[in-house]
Amino acid sequence: MKLFSVLKMAVVAMALPATTAMAADRLQGAGATFPQPYYQRLVAEYQKLTGATIDYQGIGSGGGQKGIAEKTVHFAGSDAPMDRKVIAKCGGAENLVEVPSCAGGIVAIYNLPGIKQALRFTGPVLAEIYMGKIRRWNDQKLVELNPGVELPDQAITAVWRTDGSGTNFVWTNYLCTQIAEFKSSIGAGLKVQWPVGLGGKGNPGVTHTVQQTVGGIGYVEQTYADQNHLAYGLVQNKEGNFVKATPKSVSLAGAGAVDQMHGQMIPANIWHQAGKDTYPIASFTYLIVYKDLNNLPDKEAAQTLVNFLWWATHDGQKLAAKLDYAPLAPAVQKKVEEALKTITYKGEALKIGE
Amino acid sequence: MPATRRHISPHYQRYLNAKSTVFQGLCVVFAAIVLAVFAFVAFYLFSQGIHHIGLAFFTEMPIPPGMAGAPGGMANALLGTLILIALAGVVGIPLGMLAGIYLAEYSSNSWLGAPVRFISDVLAGVPSIVVGILGYELLVVPMGHYNGYAGAAALAFIMIPIVARTTEEMLRLVPHSYREASIALGASKTRTILKVVIPAATGSLVTGVMLAIARIAGETAPLLFTALGSRLLTLNPANPFPSLTVQVFNYATGPYKDEQDLAWAGMLILIAIVFVLNLTVRFTTSRMQRERRGRAR
Amino acid sequence: MSSESSQPISPEPNSPPSGEGIRRSLRTKRRFNVDAVLAGFTRLGALCIIGMLVALLAVLTIAAWPSITQYKARFLTSSQWRANSREVSVRDAAGHIVFDSDGEMTTKTVPPEFGAWPVIYGTTVSSILALLFAVPLSFGTALFLVRLCPRIIAGTVSFLIEFLAAIPSIAYGMWALFVLAPLLQHYVEPGLRHALSWMPWINRWLFVETQTVVGRTVSQEIPLTGNDMFCGGLVLAIMILPIITAISRDVLKGVPREQLEGTSALGATWWQSSREMLRYSRSGLFGAVMLGLARAAGETMAVTMVCGNNTQVRFSLFAPTQTMSSLLANEFAEANSDIHRAALAEVALILLVMSLLFNIIARWLVVDSSAHAAAH
Repeated sequence: MKLFSVLKMAVVAMALPATTAMAADRLQGAGATFPQPYYQRLVAEYQKLTGATIDYQGIGSGGGQKGIAEKTVHFAGSDAPMDRKVIAKCGGAENLVEVPSCAGGIVAIYNLPGIKQALRFTGPVLAEIYMGKIRRWNDQKLVELNPGVELPDQAITAVWRTDGSGTNFVWTNYLCTQIAEFKSSIGAGLKVQWPVGLGGKGNPGVTHTVQQTVGGIGYVEQTYADQNHLAYGLVQNKEGNFVKATPKSVSLAGAGAVDQMHGQMIPANIWHQAGKDTYPIASFTYLIVYKDLNNLPDKEAAQTLVNFLWWATHDGQKLAAKLDYAPLAPAVQKKVEEALKTITYKGEALKIGE
Repeated sequence: MPATRRHISPHYQRYLNAKSTVFQGLCVVFAAIVLAVFAFVAFYLFSQGIHHIGLAFFTEMPIPPGMAGAPGGMANALLGTLILIALAGVVGIPLGMLAGIYLAEYSSNSWLGAPVRFISDVLAGVPSIVVGILGYELLVVPMGHYNGYAGAAALAFIMIPIVARTTEEMLRLVPHSYREASIALGASKTRTILKVVIPAATGSLVTGVMLAIARIAGETAPLLFTALGSRLLTLNPANPFPSLTVQVFNYATGPYKDEQDLAWAGMLILIAIVFVLNLTVRFTTSRMQRERRGRAR
Repeated sequence: MSSESSQPISPEPNSPPSGEGIRRSLRTKRRFNVDAVLAGFTRLGALCIIGMLVALLAVLTIAAWPSITQYKARFLTSSQWRANSREVSVRDAAGHIVFDSDGEMTTKTVPPEFGAWPVIYGTTVSSILALLFAVPLSFGTALFLVRLCPRIIAGTVSFLIEFLAAIPSIAYGMWALFVLAPLLQHYVEPGLRHALSWMPWINRWLFVETQTVVGRTVSQEIPLTGNDMFCGGLVLAIMILPIITAISRDVLKGVPREQLEGTSALGATWWQSSREMLRYSRSGLFGAVMLGLARAAGETMAVTMVCGNNTQVRFSLFAPTQTMSSLLANEFAEANSDIHRAALAEVALILLVMSLLFNIIARWLVVDSSAHAAAH
């Protein structure tokens, strides 16, 4: 290991005579692709408004969390709460701030030309499809769920994420609540090993692969389905109703979450929630920063970042609904405000929410 | 053989001739298949690209899907690729040339020549994604964030062995009498190399460099974990840095039709760069060959 | 390909003795210093190349070390590639699930597991597939260029082939993603199934898959998606065609004319003399194939876009697969546990060593054969 660090230092010393710090006038974010359309829109609008340049790269939630731990980004996007091990790498939960920026529904998209009406799925059926137990679209279980639909005799191609993904995290955790067998054979996580199907990179990659594959089924954030006109199914919720994902049915899932939120790390899992009209596969997506922004080049940059976070969780919320995400409920927003107000720069207070 | 051939029966000879014709035909068919496949690929890339390219491609930044004016253009990526190539060149060309000069002019009495020559050949074949991982471990992790320098360094890594070997070969083509004449006139070895050998080979050295640039201009894999990509116009390589190839990859694998169209346009620009570089190389080399032949006469 | 061993040119020529004497007399102290500076700098450049290879091997080995020590040789043979830990129920010796005193299932956590066998398999099979498609076509085309084609056309075709070798791999990938994969999905693969599946063993190999899913053996038709080993192999073949063709053309050109004229004078047919030519330059041709193999094994972007990215060993060519390079492209940027990253670094190390081997063999063969040809 010693050799390694010496090598590293030598190369760095040789290759970087000039500026190595990121430009102060620019903020770098990376992570989840689930909110990518929303964040890219946010930063574009925010730039118009204030001139601040912010870049967000969708590389997967795992990549975002890793970026925060290794300080390769200023802020991270993740749909999965920070992993315990990654938090430890960051020096513990008290060093971090994690707030939801919006909620979204993960929908089961499919490519079945000729099927006009939205299909109905239940959690166990989706789990069995991804376990490779249901292999054809005219499987008895699917037919029973969808009376009156002419399901084709077509093989099912399950499409999933190849990268470390919060969408994966939510999807697998939801499916784990549905069948015990899923939990023991596949399990939950940012990245799991799927027994069947095709992989796509990021929400965009999964969407594209389903678009191209007749008989394909995939799981993506609702925006991707809507923007690209892909069909997606209704999913049976805890009360037994078949619900379509909408900003409204998703925000119902987030309503009860406020009780789970304490302090400045406020992730809350909102899949499989109670409620008659609640969409069952919902998730918050989180913005993660260090509580003390000493990884930023200067105080001004830190101020810009908190201004942006504040704006994103307040005025920016209007854009969320436009892109089919569910805006934060006022009660949740309160918790977010409290969390954001703990942020400092090298121990100095920042103007937050003024 | 002649003795046995005389005894071949006319039937067998006819069979042999027919077989020969069949194989001849097969070669023609194979060549035709190869050319047809490539004509198809090239035509498709060209027609898709030309169809979707416009002024906005060169002047505008990417605009998120759903916003007015989306998908915008790739001005940032184009500029990013040019900067990355320039940075890689600044490091890679001098180092590669020095190594090449060493191989051509100094290595004959040294144990170092053969291994360096061999290693540079082998390095030229290293999968580029592995070079990207090296860049990540050495330049991204210590610096704390994805950055253009790491991307440029990875590209330089790919460039150096190519430049070294072409430089060596080009210098070896300079007639040995030039060196002897220079030395006979009292010039030192340094002077001979700098004032006689390199000027005589300048044209071909430039072509070698252009080939190396054509190679790195199209590289995607080494940039994925180093420069990462960016949707902004970026001039400071300490930031995550945009490039044409990574942006094309992101757009092509994404679901948005208008971004896919933009990817085709970006692809066409990349191929055009590579094509122009190759064409220039071909013309300069053939001209030089003619000149050399003229001299020899 | 250099042929320095046989060329009379060398920087320190065996010039006439008088030249040596003059030079020695001209080498004054002052000039010697200037000479030493340039010599030193160029030597530094040369050492830099050795340093690059050393750095590559060293950095990857160090980065992969945690995985090497944890998994040892098992890494090469295990076909589990799973980044999440998993809760499984504990079973007793008889296979019954164990319940604790509260009537809850007792579970244990299975840690993440990384084994490179699926990607080694994917890389190997897709590369071999690519060679099967590319080698006959390349050799045929090379023979055509050297022996059949009018010289004027040969020049243009040769240029085209060199240009095609220079087209970025992402261009081939994009073409494959938007044209080749849909073509395979909708026409070629269903057509092949229609034509071939009546043969039971082909059917069992290509179109049906027997899998043990959660303890149950099921035999299922494989969905034909176009994103599979077959497509990966095809696009690799297209990408290595130019390089194999260009090198084998050069090698065939190097066959001495007397060799050809000799066989023709003996009344050999065109094919007989061509075969003689191929046999004569076989080691060079094999080198060309090895270079193609090295390129195929290391190719990343195009394969990532069409291989299906499923990290499993599947024997059907129509099942999705994953190669070493596509695994790295997919996972390296977001591997957030140390052992995951180390495992990926180890995959990179394996890939590097593999491609070094292919390249070394190829260089030996090609350089050897061109020296051999030049000696005649």
